[in-house]
Amino acid sequence: MEFESCFDIIGPIMVGPSSSHTAGVVSIGKFVHELLDGCPEEADIIFYDSFAETYQGHGTDKALLGGLLGMNTDDSRIKHAIEMTHHYGLTYGIQLEGSCPYYDHPNTTFITARSKDSIVKVGGVSLGGGLSKIFMINGELVDIRLSTNDDISTLATHFSECVKKDTVLKGVV
Amino acid sequence: MMEIRSMRELIEITKLEKKSIGQIMLMKEEKKSGKDQETIIRMMEERLIKMKEAIDSGKNDPSPAPSGISGGDAVKMSQYVRRGKSLSGTYISDAMTFSLATSESNARMGVIVATPTAGAAGILPGVLFSLHENDGTPYEELVMGLFTASALGYVIANRSFISGAAGGCQAEVGSATAMAAGTIVELKGGTPEQAVNATAIAMKSLLGLVCDPVAGLVEVPCIKRNVIGTSIAFSAADLALAGIESRIPCDEVINAMYEVGKDMPRVLKETSLGGLAMTETGKKVKERLFSKKS
Ligand code: SF4
Repeated sequence: MEFESCFDIIGPIMVGPSSSHTAGVVSIGKFVHELLDGCPEEADIIFYDSFAETYQGHGTDKALLGGLLGMNTDDSRIKHAIEMTHHYGLTYGIQLEGSCPYYDHPNTTFITARSKDSIVKVGGVSLGGGLSKIFMINGELVDIRLSTNDDISTLATHFSECVKKDTVLKGVV
Repeated sequence: MMEIRSMRELIEITKLEKKSIGQIMLMKEEKKSGKDQETIIRMMEERLIKMKEAIDSGKNDPSPAPSGISGGDAVKMSQYVRRGKSLSGTYISDAMTFSLATSESNARMGVIVATPTAGAAGILPGVLFSLHENDGTPYEELVMGLFTASALGYVIANRSFISGAAGGCQAEVGSATAMAAGTIVELKGGTPEQAVNATAIAMKSLLGLVCDPVAGLVEVPCIKRNVIGTSIAFSAADLALAGIESRIPCDEVINAMYEVGKDMPRVLKETSLGGLAMTETGKKVKERLFSKKS
């Protein structure tokens, strides 16, 4: 059962306009933020399918960037996230693709994010109603369910190993 | 407590426990989250208050959304309703006004409560605050109504879809309308069976509805679909309260919604590549907005 709580259905309290294209995506960005323990310096973003078609209209880019900057779903600054990336020193690129080869859902994204000494590649899917799921971290399949009621920072600490591991690899290369 | 996988199971539990659908959901949340009832009720109350704030800010705001393709209709509607000549009666007219106000706020990137999604955020607040306005249903009962709605939505979401991208607008406005219909029934003293019948009837009326937002924005046709959703919710509730049943059981209706959603082509699932999004006007709007941006 993907939906567990009454607040998965009534909620989140969020900035509009779309729970799947805005709210759920903020959580995915926020997870990456927590995984890196702060705002990344660089982010390569891939939007698949429905995200690729409509991200401008829904502000999906603003939502993901807002999350990467550390904002929560009901943060009214999300609409200014693009301008705010400059202040935070985040440079980013967005690539658009068709169906996601790793997860069968139209609202999927991949983010490769770097901060000073770590790099992480995260696949996320927004399931609707503000609920989302991280399905891949650095090539490994995972199943981390994110709802806007969750403490994303605690969730992410369980997976901080993934980031470290990759840092070691990078050192070797 | 047993897991609730279907409306049939939900009804069984209400009988077993001698409780309403809303109370069952509250109990279930208590068990699952480990929080006490008081905390859970307070959290739900917070959502009700946010809904009210969205209505209040939207009702008097004539300004257009950033896109320029929506805004100002809530003000028009409430002026019209105040003249006392609306054909649909005050329950539905007020619900339509409140629903417009909420969905217009959403389009302005204002704070709203997703019920179950942001695209369909206008329907439930619309009917709840219309009940409050027209027969003085107190806030505590409206909060319980949100538990009822969440139980109905919970079953739908776990059996089918609730997002337009996954299942078309039938999954989004359809689910929200179905939840609202059942909620009205429970708040007006109907039985759990009647509430579930209202849910089924409302969902059947919107089965097959495609998701085709113009320029990918949750505005056209979304806002007006929310508005009409409130009137379908009231009609379905009236039918169920009259003792009329859905000939197809609710669980089967939900399964049908799932099958229809799966078969729906990708162009009609929030990609803005079909339906109203691809009309002459729809395409012009998209061109205008995106050329402005780049
Ligand atoms: S048309 Fe699509 S985006 Fe608009 S309310 Fe319906 S499901 Fe949501």
